[in-house]
Amino acid sequence: MGGKVTCTLGEVKQRADFIVYWGGNPAECHPRHFTKYTIMQKSKFLPRGRKDRTMVLVDIRETKSAKAADIFLQVRPGKDFELITILRAMIKDQHVSDEQISATGLTRDAIDDLIRRMKAAKFGCFFFGMGLSMTRGKHMNSASLLMLAAEMNAFTKFVAMPMRGHGNVTGADVIMRWQTGYPFGISFNRGYPRYNPGEFSTVDVLVRGDCDAAFIIGADPGATMPQPAIDHLARIPTIVLDPHITHTSRLARVHITTAPQGIAAPGTAYRMDELPMPLKPALKSPYPSDEEVVRRINEAIAKKPFWLPDGRQSPNLWSTQVNQ
Amino acid sequence: MLRITGGKVYDPANGIDGQVKDLCIDDNGQFVESVPGGRTIDATGMIVFPGGVDVHTHVAGGAINFARAMTPEDHRRTQAFIRTKSRRSGLGGMAPTTFATGYLYAGMGWTTVNEAAVPVLSARHTHEELADIPIVDKASLTLMANNEIMLDQMEKGEFERAKQVVAWYLWAAKSYGIKAVNPGGVAAWKYGHDAKQLDSPIDGYNRLTPGDIVTQLARICDELGLPHPIHLHCNNLGAPGNISTTLDTLVRLEGHRAHIAHSQYHAYGGDGWDTMCSKTAELAEYFNTHPNLTTDAGAVLFGDTVTITADGPWQHLLHKLTGRKWGNLDVENETGCGIVPYTYRPSNLVNAVQWAAGLELLLLIRDPWQVFLSTDHPNGGCFWRYPEIIHLLMNADFRRECMLKLPSKVKGRITLPEVDREYTLYEVAISMSAGPARALGLRHKGNLGIGCDGDVVIYEENADVEQMFGHPRYVIKGGEVVLEDGDIRETPQGKEFLVRPQIDAGIDDFMRPLFEDCYTMQFENYPVEIERLEHPDIRECAPVSG
Ligand SMILES: [Zn+2]
Repeated sequence: MGGKVTCTLGEVKQRADFIVYWGGNPAECHPRHFTKYTIMQKSKFLPRGRKDRTMVLVDIRETKSAKAADIFLQVRPGKDFELITILRAMIKDQHVSDEQISATGLTRDAIDDLIRRMKAAKFGCFFFGMGLSMTRGKHMNSASLLMLAAEMNAFTKFVAMPMRGHGNVTGADVIMRWQTGYPFGISFNRGYPRYNPGEFSTVDVLVRGDCDAAFIIGADPGATMPQPAIDHLARIPTIVLDPHITHTSRLARVHITTAPQGIAAPGTAYRMDELPMPLKPALKSPYPSDEEVVRRINEAIAKKPFWLPDGRQSPNLWSTQVNQ
Repeated sequence: MLRITGGKVYDPANGIDGQVKDLCIDDNGQFVESVPGGRTIDATGMIVFPGGVDVHTHVAGGAINFARAMTPEDHRRTQAFIRTKSRRSGLGGMAPTTFATGYLYAGMGWTTVNEAAVPVLSARHTHEELADIPIVDKASLTLMANNEIMLDQMEKGEFERAKQVVAWYLWAAKSYGIKAVNPGGVAAWKYGHDAKQLDSPIDGYNRLTPGDIVTQLARICDELGLPHPIHLHCNNLGAPGNISTTLDTLVRLEGHRAHIAHSQYHAYGGDGWDTMCSKTAELAEYFNTHPNLTTDAGAVLFGDTVTITADGPWQHLLHKLTGRKWGNLDVENETGCGIVPYTYRPSNLVNAVQWAAGLELLLLIRDPWQVFLSTDHPNGGCFWRYPEIIHLLMNADFRRECMLKLPSKVKGRITLPEVDREYTLYEVAISMSAGPARALGLRHKGNLGIGCDGDVVIYEENADVEQMFGHPRYVIKGGEVVLEDGDIRETPQGKEFLVRPQIDAGIDDFMRPLFEDCYTMQFENYPVEIERLEHPDIRECAPVSG
């Protein structure tokens, strides 16, 4: 199991005649999603726009997004994984009992209808939000939906994409991957990147009190992390780069005010489909950009004596690759 | 300034085959007749080659970065690069991280690499990654054969328009040339289909066939005068019996220059996996009689790797065959991309045929200026395993020894047992450097002549070929000693090659409405700004007549 079958948002705009939002509320959280990418757009393959597309919303409650949906399926809280597993079985005509179906809060007719529509689609797409990825089952829910999308390709074209938010989290993820091989939760303690979410993730390192300094850009952990993590941030020298006063900046030893990205500082942001978008600032700011501050700190550090032993003595540097 | 004295020099671009000769490099990093001072490397008894040139590899951009995300289990067991004063940390393995990629290539004596598959839409990302690959010079190729705006023009018979569209995209991507992957087939994959043969219909088009795309793109590359011709990944990759598709493709390239990527994957006979066999003899014979063509082997080595290609439908098939993880990313209007981890096993009949076929092509195509060392990294194996292939090419006895591990059923399906040819050092130098440099149109690379770039690799002569090529004594990049005694000493930033073909003034106005129709970003934001490239080097375009 694993992998991801996806596309850029333009493919959805051009081709998706069947769209499922699962555990997300784009009407309120990604308000431009419907109009720019998914249900409202006309294209050469879908000339009638909205009329050529079917939208299904799967969620535990009827949010504002339900108004935009052709079909709303109310899944029982905590039963997403079960519902996805049932779908994975039933698309392959495997038997699922009535009790198993009713436990999800849906009827057999509703599921049969959904599968019929999924298979009849020319191009289907699942978008999934935090209602799926951050509730009971967490990454297992996301993984099973990704598998469902992959398996649907035995019948028709299907893709899946997470609805990511919060600034440029995708950009951070992309760059960490090309520089270290991993998206987040990375430790450089041994001089090379190691990955273990749950051990090296920021929150875990802070809660354990493993770090003796913190440097924070583009995030406000003081507002979202558990209290022991926040306590540790207050205990150690914490440096914050942020255009605003935040919970974290209040407890930091140093707060450097920076120009807001995209508004007064240029750069690149990666969209949720991992496409890089250039940011062109509309305003000028008296403050430096994050990039400039980091560059100046780096230059200052470079003037100090190097603190690691000379790599030439390192026994591991040209060690043999493992390959079976 | 640098002087290299007393070495046995292999410089095929200038016909020098092992003569003892001194080399001098000036402060501009180029070869000159003499230098007034500076360091002298005494290479007496050593072997001097031009720095390696990889004509086809995948080292930067959305696809390889997707592969990195999909293979954390490999990162954990692989070679770690520990941070030092001059080097950044990273990981080797199947899909090495960017800094490690530069150290691994340079550590092996390669100084120029060509990233062979870039969607324009994410070219900005690719250039950012390329900037993070130190030491080596870089070029990149734009994926064009499934670009719907271009295909629409071809369908209408508007060849000149199609050519202008291609030129516009090339400059927008800030890239060096054109890559064609499964022409028409990837476009068809957008609705879950493929186009396997040259006359197959393409979803969404009435008249246009893959064959038309191949011929027209080859002509476009020639007429735009790109230094590198069309770089073609043929239709029907990997499938038993695909030799007929490949030969059919080559016929349609007559009268044009072309580079055929990873031919090994396109040289199979049989009509199913059980009957699959190597048809490299037929393919090699075509190359032997058609000097307009070059190719790289796309050789396979046994072991673990991760396959990545713009050929989405093939990757779906591979996923179904192996049950391994499957990554797929369709890119609006332009192309696709698929990723599947894979293990080549000597006990597997299909893999055994593939292993033999890659070596056969390198040995059966007579002119080494036509066939180059490659594994289509990471598809057939990782680039850092090239010394293993050199060993196989240079030693027929070693090949026979390796063939003992293959299943007995492979008998009669491969030609390798009958091939006695062994590469000379001169031929190795062509295959890994001079040949690919010439095919890329990089005349100042893979060449130790006056005025060329001072990229040199110096080996200590060693009967153990793998050891010798895997661990050079010195690597010099642009006159700078970057590796000495097995250790990376300097990590200069390499150049990025690109072209600026002739573009009609009105093309922006023509492109804008078509663009806005299918893309989801602003027209003005789409082209990569030249400022984003570190050390850009714009190469001349000179139209070639057919
Ligand atoms: Zn390739």
